[in-house]
Amino acid sequence: MKAYLPVLLAVTAFTTTAFSASPSPEGVAFFEQKIRPLLVEHCYECHSAEAKKLKGNLFLDSKTGWEKGGDSGEPVIIPGNIEASQLLKSVRHEDPDTAMPPKKPKLPDAAIADLIAWVKMGAPDPRDGTQLEAKRADKSWWSLQPLAREFRHKDIDGFLEEKLTEKGLHFNAPAEARALIRRISYDLTGLPPSMEEVEAFAKAYQTEARPAVEALVDRLLASPQYGEHWGRHWLDVVRFGESNGFERNFIINDLWPFRDYVIHSFNEDKPFNRFIAEHLAGDILGKGNPEVEVGSAFLVAGPYDDVGNQDVVAQKNIRAATLDELVTSTSSAFLGLTVNCARCHNHKFDPIPTEDYYRLKSAFEGVKHGRRVVVSKQERAAFDMASKPLNDEKKLLTEQQQALEKAVEARCRAAAAAQKTAKPKVDPNATEDHFSAEQVRFVKFVMHASTANPKSATSARLTEFEVWSADKASRNVALAANGGSASGTQSIKAEDFPEAYGPQLCIDGKPGEQWAVGTPAELTITLAKLETIDRIVFSNAKGKDVQDKSQGATPCEYEVRVSVDGTNWKTVSSGLDRAPWSEAHGIERVRREVTTEEERVQLAALAKLIAELQRKIDAVPKLREIWAGTYSQPSEQTFVHKGGDPLKLGDSVVPASLSVLDRVGKPFALPAGAPEGERRLALAQWLTGDDNSLPPRVLANRLWHYHFGTGLVDTPGDFGFLGSRPSHPELLDFLATRLLFHGWRLKPLHREIMLSRAYQQSADLREEAARVDKSARLLWRFPPRRLNAEEIRDTVLSAAGKLQLVPAGGPGFRLYKVLANNVSTYVPLEQHGPETYRRAVYHQNARASVVDLLNDFDLPDTAFPAPKRANTSTPLQALTLLNHGFTLDMAAALATRLGSTHSVQAAYRIAFQREPSPAEKDAADRFIAAHGLTAFCRALLNASELVFLD
Amino acid sequence: MSALDLSRRSFLGDMTTGLTGVALSRLLANEVQAAPSRPSHFAPKAKQVLQIFCPGAASHMDLWDHKPMLEKYDGTPLPGAEQEVTFQGKNGTLMRSPWPFLPAGSSGKMISSMLPHMSRHVDDMAFIHSMVSRSNTHGPGCISMNTCFTREGFPSAGSWVNYALGSLNDNLPTYVSIQDLRGEPPNGKANWSNGFLPAEYQAVSMSAQQPLRNLARPAGISEMEDSATQDFLQTLNAGFAGSRPGQDELSARLASYALAARMQMKAPEVSDLTREPQHIHALYGTQDANGLKAAYARNCLLARRFLEQGVRYVSLYCASRASAVDGLLNWDAHKTLKADYERHCPIFDQPTAALLSDLKQRGMLDNVLVLWCTEFGRMPTRQEGTSGRDHNPDAFTTWMMGAGVKGGISHGATDEFGRRSVQDVATVYDFYATVLQLLGLNHEQLTYYHNGANRRLTDVHGHVLKGLLA
Repeated sequence: MKAYLPVLLAVTAFTTTAFSASPSPEGVAFFEQKIRPLLVEHCYECHSAEAKKLKGNLFLDSKTGWEKGGDSGEPVIIPGNIEASQLLKSVRHEDPDTAMPPKKPKLPDAAIADLIAWVKMGAPDPRDGTQLEAKRADKSWWSLQPLAREFRHKDIDGFLEEKLTEKGLHFNAPAEARALIRRISYDLTGLPPSMEEVEAFAKAYQTEARPAVEALVDRLLASPQYGEHWGRHWLDVVRFGESNGFERNFIINDLWPFRDYVIHSFNEDKPFNRFIAEHLAGDILGKGNPEVEVGSAFLVAGPYDDVGNQDVVAQKNIRAATLDELVTSTSSAFLGLTVNCARCHNHKFDPIPTEDYYRLKSAFEGVKHGRRVVVSKQERAAFDMASKPLNDEKKLLTEQQQALEKAVEARCRAAAAAQKTAKPKVDPNATEDHFSAEQVRFVKFVMHASTANPKSATSARLTEFEVWSADKASRNVALAANGGSASGTQSIKAEDFPEAYGPQLCIDGKPGEQWAVGTPAELTITLAKLETIDRIVFSNAKGKDVQDKSQGATPCEYEVRVSVDGTNWKTVSSGLDRAPWSEAHGIERVRREVTTEEERVQLAALAKLIAELQRKIDAVPKLREIWAGTYSQPSEQTFVHKGGDPLKLGDSVVPASLSVLDRVGKPFALPAGAPEGERRLALAQWLTGDDNSLPPRVLANRLWHYHFGTGLVDTPGDFGFLGSRPSHPELLDFLATRLLFHGWRLKPLHREIMLSRAYQQSADLREEAARVDKSARLLWRFPPRRLNAEEIRDTVLSAAGKLQLVPAGGPGFRLYKVLANNVSTYVPLEQHGPETYRRAVYHQNARASVVDLLNDFDLPDTAFPAPKRANTSTPLQALTLLNHGFTLDMAAALATRLGSTHSVQAAYRIAFQREPSPAEKDAADRFIAAHGLTAFCRALLNASELVFLD
Repeated sequence: MSALDLSRRSFLGDMTTGLTGVALSRLLANEVQAAPSRPSHFAPKAKQVLQIFCPGAASHMDLWDHKPMLEKYDGTPLPGAEQEVTFQGKNGTLMRSPWPFLPAGSSGKMISSMLPHMSRHVDDMAFIHSMVSRSNTHGPGCISMNTCFTREGFPSAGSWVNYALGSLNDNLPTYVSIQDLRGEPPNGKANWSNGFLPAEYQAVSMSAQQPLRNLARPAGISEMEDSATQDFLQTLNAGFAGSRPGQDELSARLASYALAARMQMKAPEVSDLTREPQHIHALYGTQDANGLKAAYARNCLLARRFLEQGVRYVSLYCASRASAVDGLLNWDAHKTLKADYERHCPIFDQPTAALLSDLKQRGMLDNVLVLWCTEFGRMPTRQEGTSGRDHNPDAFTTWMMGAGVKGGISHGATDEFGRRSVQDVATVYDFYATVLQLLGLNHEQLTYYHNGANRRLTDVHGHVLKGLLA
């Protein structure tokens, strides 16, 4: 983003008290005669309450306005100080970026002189009437304060009831048992309870409610499905995706260990401060311990542009954008701040100076996307022990082989030099061979070598292959237009466009497209009928008039064979008549004749031994590589990019804490050249210090958000000015202190929340309460909700009896097919096989791959952190859930599971965990009688009752 | 009669002409529109958008932006920029366009002779010759041309328009993205993504070859069973919603199933090109011997049929992504411009021109705003050692025509060689500020809160190109 307005960097904060007394009559007169008219004429258009669009949040129609300043948060006039007054710098056009008025000529010299005189006399300004509405936050902003430590209530319900009472509201009655266990099960595990669990819970709940709920919550918190469900929430927050996005969008197959790490960390209730620190510096904290090291894969789990770009300016912009992605994700995930908005200018709404952005950036300067070996010391030692002797032996044998080949090649070189050839070497633009006329139906072009590889022609390219008739009006009889057809294998395939790179391109008469020669390197042309021919021409350039050296290798060692019947072949011309393409090609030609029998035997034996060793080497399990990023010491210091432009360097900054938070937390600053890892570690320690109030506040709010559907702060990734204010500020701090009290462990806090009356109340709608608070933000009822994308898929699988909870982890499954040809294309699958019947958290979520069921139900695009999911109802959801092969398979499976007797009752028990009413059973029985059980199951899997929770 | 009226009439027409097995009650009982039409900020000039996108960076100097100086100085260095390094590497000398330009229309606008059909429309077109891009790379360039941001994750213009204005019909999607037979454009689905806007604003991706996913009744399920199942389901869901008054999501879900059912009837009918007379097929070239051209022509015809039925925003792609051979699958003519464009231009020319003529003859250009886009331009020089052109983000051409657009004009200009936009430089922000203006929307007021910012299609930039407005 570019500033609308003056980037007000480094304005010295002078005290204004000396001039704060009411202005003198002379001063007021000067202001009224000279200054006010000037401001009205030149400035008010953009900087007044009447401005159509206020620019830079700066008001110049009141004294308060220029004292408060605009986006910079610093006064634009320092009474008495000409040098420090930004307004004067701007009107004097000292810096083109901040010149005022913008895109207009400078003010008349006299006007500027008046302004200078006015500032010199202390900027007397009688305009004190205007009360400015806050247009931005300063450091007194609520979220930037230390946590409250004393509270007026002892538990969650107290805070909520206080607000409810204020509005004349109260909690609903407790939820009935079935609704409650469904709510708790989905909330903690993302899965429905079984009918048996519901019945057992109902019984216990009726006897003694609280212990029953406690037991249920404890059981589910301890189940491995808890980590799968809450880990999935966290993966949204950290914009976890398994392809790189952008143009190539290649799939990343070794980032899943990070997903498993997240799930395990939730399941073992790892203290969250440690979890955060591992995200930023796991490789430092846990060197040699893969379980910890993998945490910092967070840094490279986002999208980035990897297209090779030779343009230096573009390279700088791409690198800056890559690091911007890191700054954005880090500040959103852990701080709930949009530090990224301070990339081009000071944050427009929050007191985040642009230097803070670059402080954060400097911590990440050494991070690069990529994979590296992440193993324990023992694993590495074992690997070395297994592979080193094999590699040593292979090296020895390879040396012998090379020595022998060198001797052979020396003799080859001499022999090749002695050979004389009649014709010049192959010309990629067009090579023409004449031969005595033959009547044939088939022509075969057998290729042995290409200009790039003396030993093989595979991967060479051929644009056209022409076969010319021997008559006077010679025609290219190979042309498709003349009835010819071509066959041959291709080395590149584009699945979504099979015609690309095919052999038919050699006979289309168009010079542009090429056949990518495959294995065997043979092109067979079938003519429309017997033809008498005496000439072929082949070319690889994209046209005879087109100069191009970069379109791939050309076949250069070849034979042309012809046949009448396609069985008996005769060679009519060959590349042997031509000068070899290079010395290496010449050597290959004579190698066979020059090698002695003894050498041949020796070389064959060596090759066999080496191949065997290679097999053994390959059999040693590879050291595990993970997409965990690579780290190196930055070669340059970090500079502010003026206006966000990496070519316009401003002041240098050092890796340090963010000044926006200097009221909380212990600041740190490292030397400019601090070691790369230390930067991230220091950042992690500062972020997770107990005195830094934002991370625990943000985290407690995330918990609330996922439990109740809406956070106390409704914008879980933004605690700044544009974010929403907390509905219950004191409760938020209470929760944050409870989190710290529990040593940053989440499970005890889940427990406290879920044992509250607020959480356990019914979802019933009371009209009189709804009239006061429709969205139930004050929680007079539990807010009902639709299941999210993963829950829906898992629920359908579970109802059908097909959900497989193991393997819990490991490589993910895919609901799309990846087509890779230069770039990746993701094609959603029509049928989902049994290998996909796993929990949706294990789906390999590639970026910009639309997977019907999941994306239709608002699975977010992983381009950004997604602190909150959308919740939509669309016709595409309906079409997918009705008609996709997955639903049909699951409907059939459910029908099988139900069996033929009491199937309606069983269906309701499985899908909804309740008995059908007599009317429901009657309607279902009639439907089944007419249309069958599977049709009934298809309807059931689409039922609102399946996907909504009370 | 508006497109909406037309669609309703034909919809009701179908209802009475016997749709066996479809329960009328299910369709009529839920006349709620899932995405109802919403008012614009002020009176719109255009109600619908057709966006034609030629991915791969279609060369301005070889199609629309005539540069006589290139003919004069062909083979000599670009003054002041010898050996300039751009996306793929070093540049060689200036290269003239391989084809002559010819005057077209009453204005005598010079257009490449490779576009004989398109050149007949120049009197209706408003060219923007002074476009600049923020990226020199296809993927980011394409999404920038669609979302105004070079990084992915932002909503496409079509989704913004969908969000702003909603649907004009009650039985079809609001935003349709039609893909080329050769595949998806660079950066694929991010080009028509709803980004951070809710999923209801997404595009439906399809083509004449690839029908809308999950639309058809599954094989093996009879029409009667299917219809009865949907009726049974709606009864179940209506009961559930009835027991939870005030829960709007539940009634929205009922409405979404009803809309889905109407789409199941309407979309196949709209996609059925056999309903078009032979002279229309001939006009577009849907039966051309060139399979790629015929496929694109069918997509053009499909686009018109969707627009006719009140689809708000149609994106139509001509060509696809980068391939292992530059310029094979799209307009990315790095090395062999002549051969490449002799392949691409004939695919593009006649069908697109036919689509424009057809829209015009039906009076649809009164409502439809047509945009032609590509992600950036190409260099006036040849890429060193080749006969092609490298990427050039500093200059390219786009054009608009139709509702609210002044025809036969050219806005802005590149320098004499086409290297840089120099006069009335226009950004993609300006481009979309103008598009929104024509749709009756103030681009600074169309916002959506996301992760700490009130986001706009035009970011924090953009000026309406007033000269283009009729």
